[in-house]
Amino acid sequence: MYLTEELAAKGKVARGYVGRAMKRVEDPRLIKGIASYVDDLKIPGMLYAQFVRSPHAHAEIKSILTDGAKVLPGLVGIFTGADLNDKLGTIPCASPISGGRSPQHTVLAGKRVYFVGHPVAVVVAETRAIARDAVDLVDVDYEPLPAVMDPEKALQEDSALTHPELGTNVAFIWKLPAGDVDAAFKEADKVFKLRTVQPRVTPMAIEPRGCVASWHAGESSLTLWTSTQVPHLVRTLLPDLIRIPENKLRIVTPEVGGGFGSKLNLYAEEVVISHLAMRLERPVKWIEGRRENAATTIHGRDQVAESEIAIRNDGTVLAIRSKIIADVGSYCQLLTPAIPTLTGLMLCGCYKLKAVLAEVTGVHTNKMSTDAYRGAGRPEATYMIERIMDLVAGELGMDQVQVRLKNMPQPTEFPFNTATGLTYDSGNYQAALAKAQDLAEWPKLLQERETARKEGRLFGIGLSTYVEICALGPSKIMAAGGWEWGCVRIEISGKVTVITGATPHGQGQETSFAQIAADWLGIPMEDIVVLRGDTATAHFGRDTYGSRATALGGTAIVMSIEKIIEKAKKLAAALLNSKPEEIEFENGKFFVKGKLEETIEWGRLASEAYIAKNLPPGLEPGLEASSFFEPSNCTFPFGTHIVAVDVERDTGHVNILKYVAVDDCGKQVNPLLVEGQVQGGITQSLGTALMERTVYDESGQLLTGEFMDYAIPRAPDIPEYILGSTETPSPSNPLGVKGVGEAGTIGATPAIANAVIDALSPLGIRHLDLPFTPERVWRAMKEKEARS
Amino acid sequence: MKLSATYAFQDPGETLFAALVDPAILQKCIDGCEKMEKTGEDSYNAHLKIGVAGIKGSYVGKVRVDEKKPPESFTLHVEGKGGPGWVKGKAKIQILPKGEGSELLCESEGQVGGLIAQVGSRLVEAVGKKMQDEFFRKLGQQLRNTSVPGK
Repeated sequence: MYLTEELAAKGKVARGYVGRAMKRVEDPRLIKGIASYVDDLKIPGMLYAQFVRSPHAHAEIKSILTDGAKVLPGLVGIFTGADLNDKLGTIPCASPISGGRSPQHTVLAGKRVYFVGHPVAVVVAETRAIARDAVDLVDVDYEPLPAVMDPEKALQEDSALTHPELGTNVAFIWKLPAGDVDAAFKEADKVFKLRTVQPRVTPMAIEPRGCVASWHAGESSLTLWTSTQVPHLVRTLLPDLIRIPENKLRIVTPEVGGGFGSKLNLYAEEVVISHLAMRLERPVKWIEGRRENAATTIHGRDQVAESEIAIRNDGTVLAIRSKIIADVGSYCQLLTPAIPTLTGLMLCGCYKLKAVLAEVTGVHTNKMSTDAYRGAGRPEATYMIERIMDLVAGELGMDQVQVRLKNMPQPTEFPFNTATGLTYDSGNYQAALAKAQDLAEWPKLLQERETARKEGRLFGIGLSTYVEICALGPSKIMAAGGWEWGCVRIEISGKVTVITGATPHGQGQETSFAQIAADWLGIPMEDIVVLRGDTATAHFGRDTYGSRATALGGTAIVMSIEKIIEKAKKLAAALLNSKPEEIEFENGKFFVKGKLEETIEWGRLASEAYIAKNLPPGLEPGLEASSFFEPSNCTFPFGTHIVAVDVERDTGHVNILKYVAVDDCGKQVNPLLVEGQVQGGITQSLGTALMERTVYDESGQLLTGEFMDYAIPRAPDIPEYILGSTETPSPSNPLGVKGVGEAGTIGATPAIANAVIDALSPLGIRHLDLPFTPERVWRAMKEKEARS
Repeated sequence: MKLSATYAFQDPGETLFAALVDPAILQKCIDGCEKMEKTGEDSYNAHLKIGVAGIKGSYVGKVRVDEKKPPESFTLHVEGKGGPGWVKGKAKIQILPKGEGSELLCESEGQVGGLIAQVGSRLVEAVGKKMQDEFFRKLGQQLRNTSVPGK
């Protein structure tokens, strides 16, 4: 049963817009192709920029000769690190770890290049074609240096260095000793070890990055249109780098064709293009190519963990000791160090561990930086703990469901404090698990497995019971400002404009926030417009990442509406010859308590508020309010994913036979959007589980530089998802919502992995590293056959 | 990328050796070689146009010959860079008499970087093998068509 049907059955539809599966108001323009992305923007006099990029993973720049390119007609300028770096600030990391060592991240390479794709120079020309030709004519002489590629070998004393001036490849070490780990290990009946590898993956948003900067000489101000998730963070960070005041900088984010964390950053290109527009006093456009995107937009994951797990014979998981090596690449981008620390913090999963010792070592290598990729640290943690749960079951001969139930907190134990120091706001893990088992027809599935095994087929069932952290988050735990801002304006006509700082990049806030506002104001959704993505209208914001928009941005809108209603009651009281405390508000109507025959609606109130001839003394004209919402805690959505697969013995190919996901993201504003997020998330994670891997060769050349070599799931790879949900409201925000943008990517990889390994278990295979490509699975099977 | 191949020639080793270190002949035998100029004793600059996996581009390269032991062996070093990236390679050539002619053993290894690695890495070996075969085929042709010193 789909969520929509489920909600209809519960009779929620009648209540209003919130809770209804509504089609997105954004979609018609996107489907018709009349929406505007950054590359659609054309400004008279606009120039085009292209970057000259390093073809070496690590090299010294001996010389850069630009004469050959300068003769091209239409060429405007060529700028190297020597021309730009001292005029611009360095690319910031917002989450440094104390004691960590990272190099100065200049916008263009200085004396050395540190990864393939490292920008060395920028070429500006009258047309894109001229700029591209000019790039080929810039003659850079490199002296190649040894490249550091393997993060584990990079920690050996004799390793070459990514940044020789740092004297080490260690970018940072972060330790989380939580609980008495030694005591927990002493208590254990058994201790076993597990090595997990999370391959580097490439986010591959369909729209690559890109920006246009336009300098307004008369006002000394700059507008930057950029394909980013975080226009407000860009506006906070960029002014210092390009040396202009914050209030002279406007960031506009038109439609964004996917981000998945890869556009949660301030990139060197945005800084350079802004500077060039100011310097040349002409608009400048740069649009990233697909191959550029694969090499120079952040990558995700890339962790290796060696874990020790202490268990009791009854299936209790007591403690985990985990040494995690995170390959951070050449530089720490905005949130690079924060990602693997989230892995450590979420290592308990949805289980009552007594103690955790997580030690994360961030390692510099001559690769593109890693940073947030959908799930950002939580998929890694969930993969580890969910693999551990299956191994515990295997170790003790227990059922994979029983071992999970044994370790889960009861619904009555919430708010639940984890060993790692988090407080899970609310949860009922057993209910989600039970519902997923129902939807999956669990007993039948077990029967099918038994039959298949008797017939010699490799059939496996896997599950993951995940919990994740969303609605990031209280300012005290964030790098800076974890609040969100929203504004609601009742226009003179009575139409309503909602402005959000939680800038969407495909999540559908224009729909979901209109649903929220329409219900709270008691007006039709059609009367509401949601503005987003322009710092000139959305004055504040912390944007959309970490599944935070609805919980925080939605709440800021509700708070603003509450303020407007409060004020409107005063105005209504004056118009109805009553007192504000006598005025009631219901379904968009203001009336004196008990006197429903005389009501005032928003239209009349708005015109009175702005014409302002009948205002009570002391009441300001206008009907507008804005709010900052600061949450008390993050939210912790959870769920259960169940997967059945079979593995082809001859080819190693994995077929997904059944996929069930039950996700609990608290209250749902729009179940259709929830479903879309879950479907997309699972699909991306299916890629991580079965096919995706970013590959550099040993000399640092990127081998997966486009879709010919980098596999992402295509339509035939995607099974039908059977989706369901449970609803455990969050106490962390008044809407009771939790967030669902990353749930799919967090729940899916371990569930698929567990299913594949369960299928292979009759062959004696206990663990296998991601991704389960046919080749890898086939080799593992052959290796077992050869040994036996 | 590593290649090892043998090629048979009707000409004696001396002829083959002389041709292989003659820039004029080399230029005619290297597919896409637009220019080859001598820059010193046993070193040359070459301008090449090569296409790998749809990535066509111009490369400016340096060619250097060392470990010369006429008429038996020498080592050829090639380094080129251009818009699509860089190539670097070395070929150890051994010439052995065989009947009236000779047999040439070519053991080469190469690396590519930048765009060609990113896009064409799976095809580079095949392209390298094809270019090498083509080179020696043309060399055979040149030797039959022209009068080479030593013949």
